[in-house]
Amino acid sequence: MADKVTLCTDWLDVCSGCHMSILDIDERIVELIKHVQILSTPVTDLKHPPEEGCDVGILTGSVSNDHQEEVAKQMRERCKILISLGDCAVFGGICTMRNFFDVEQVLERGYVTTESTEPGSKVPRSCEIAKLFPQVKAVDQVVKVDLHIPGCPPPADAIWYAITELLAGRIPVLSDDKLTYE
Amino acid sequence: MPNVRVTIDGREVSVPAGSTILDAASVAGVEIDQLCAHAALKPIGACRICLVEVEKQRVLQPACTFPVSDGMVVHTDTDRVKDARRFVLQLLFSERNHFCMYCQMSGSCELQDLAYKYQLTHWEYDRGFPKLGVDASRKYFVMDHNRCILCRRCIRACDELVGNGTLGLKNRGAQTMVIADFDVPFGESSCVACGSCLQVCPTGALGDRASAYMGNAAEITRAKSRCMACPVGCGVELIVRDNRVIRVEGDWDAEPNRGLLCELGRFVPLYDQRRRLYTPLVKNGAVYEQADWDVAAKTVAAKLKAAGDGLVTVVSGFATSEAAAALKGWPGKKVQLEGAALDGNGASLADLDEADLFVVINTDLSKSYQVAGFAIKRAVRNRGARLVLLTDGEDGMANWATAKWPAASADQVLQVAKDAQAPVILAGPDGLQVAQALAKKLARAKMFIFSRGGNALGLAAAGIGAAFDGQKASAYYVVAGEAYSVDAALLNKLKAADFVVVQTSYREPWEGIADVLLPSPTMAEKSGTMTNVEGKTAQVTAGVKTKRPSEVEVIQKVGALL
Repeated sequence: MADKVTLCTDWLDVCSGCHMSILDIDERIVELIKHVQILSTPVTDLKHPPEEGCDVGILTGSVSNDHQEEVAKQMRERCKILISLGDCAVFGGICTMRNFFDVEQVLERGYVTTESTEPGSKVPRSCEIAKLFPQVKAVDQVVKVDLHIPGCPPPADAIWYAITELLAGRIPVLSDDKLTYE
Repeated sequence: MPNVRVTIDGREVSVPAGSTILDAASVAGVEIDQLCAHAALKPIGACRICLVEVEKQRVLQPACTFPVSDGMVVHTDTDRVKDARRFVLQLLFSERNHFCMYCQMSGSCELQDLAYKYQLTHWEYDRGFPKLGVDASRKYFVMDHNRCILCRRCIRACDELVGNGTLGLKNRGAQTMVIADFDVPFGESSCVACGSCLQVCPTGALGDRASAYMGNAAEITRAKSRCMACPVGCGVELIVRDNRVIRVEGDWDAEPNRGLLCELGRFVPLYDQRRRLYTPLVKNGAVYEQADWDVAAKTVAAKLKAAGDGLVTVVSGFATSEAAAALKGWPGKKVQLEGAALDGNGASLADLDEADLFVVINTDLSKSYQVAGFAIKRAVRNRGARLVLLTDGEDGMANWATAKWPAASADQVLQVAKDAQAPVILAGPDGLQVAQALAKKLARAKMFIFSRGGNALGLAAAGIGAAFDGQKASAYYVVAGEAYSVDAALLNKLKAADFVVVQTSYREPWEGIADVLLPSPTMAEKSGTMTNVEGKTAQVTAGVKTKRPSEVEVIQKVGALL
């Protein structure tokens, strides 16, 4: 285990599709775990990268609130190479649609005026709930990112290619069918 | 003009002096990336994607506007050039809100294609997420300012090609916005909904409503055909996905329209709300019953036979020349549905771009034969040509006209035409007599007389040239295709007839009038030829396949039993 590369992933403001795309590397995951020790992910027991750090961190999703900013900063501090995965992480993505509106308008729409919301509902205001930023940001607008893999979601082949290139000690260069914004 | 020698990426070519580097590169077979440049539009150097390295020039130069000189050596593919283009792309993407994942043009976007080519994995500059509007006030397409890169292709198409001058800019620098007229909603502007701006937009800033998310560049096929809605006979490209036309574009390579179309050709066919007819329907009392082809053909043939020379066959300008030819040998009279076939003096519509005086008689070219109207608008707007309208009513071309006189004052035109080098007379059926009289006095004028039916001259060549004269017939056989604006007087005549057969794409307006309805392909489904106002014959090609019999096969099926 000691000579394995360690990997942590987390998601921010996402639909979780990018993590599905990681799983879409299918049986290649068997090959992957020969070389990579997965330490923490949102879909495994351990959720946070360990204090002693990891080699590669992957963040999916945009940074929309103060909690997500913390998660992004912690991942940055604890990993050597940070990959921002998917359009939301790379560009801000579909979450940035709300950048056209004030935060209060967004909350009203989400919790009060949506057609499916029960009458009389209120915007939750607990101090334990993360505060929305005025504007959704891409991960690289909050922390330094070493590698961007865009796509909605990125093709599993692009993820596999990037990881295997890193394992081989090369900087992945995405092109052709591995580079997509949709 | 003398030629100059230029070397581009090691290939030496000889091009006329005054050519741009982009022109010379295309002669040399070197492709240079471009966004704001467009083959049909004048270059303005707005986007800086085509930057190239010119030896002895201190900085990179835009290939689309930089003129070549003798001995010039150009490099289009150096690291310096590629870095500059990547930088320009980064600036373009950081300026507004470009999000491919929910853009309808993803996969058919020139901006996206370049970003992929130059391997942009992210945007290097901070985005301001400016709050920009979406203008959805137009019926057929939407302007999303978030995706606009201010290349001005739309503005130039509206000005240089259509001559309408609806589009323009307001503000300067990063605040620049594409606007219509004096910044009114696009739908309330002087826009004529020709869609030329939509066709040239390199991004998702202008998006077609009907084909939104229906198929990207890799998923569609293109079929070159002709619009049969009027005798201009524009070349179209049918954009097809899964055997369905999702969009119509103007064919850049086709005369006489060179990429332009009007609302009737580009949009109207896709918005037809009438009910398609798929199987033959035979009237039994007050109701229509489905019939198979053989039964329907027999029923029709028996009645037509009984009518003998009392049969009148009415053919629409939507029918191909081959359909008209297939009617040869049928008894009775044959006439055109929309009106008589009219002919000019064999001029070419390309002559409109050389003309310096247009005389348009009792015909509003902003409503009918619009693509010919566009040629006049651009000539007036950009070349200083003069337009005289001889009309007694309102005319949408009035803003472009030097003079608007009553049709009776045609002789005044002779005075104006004295110093005209290349006068052109244009008229529809309502201006026929005045136009012909004027042409006699102005012999050097080229003359276009537009028929009402699209393929009027093609039908006339097959012996069907006359208009329906209102005589009563015992039976009518109407080859209607998708004809939509049918003369009410004719419909009334049909109502009074004993037996009416209509070969039509749609039930309306024939349902109730016809005794038998036979399905017909639409423009997008038929193959054959048409002859336009210039007398030029062009191919109509089916963009989609159908198992139903063709126009000609239906006529033959019935004809064989007569």
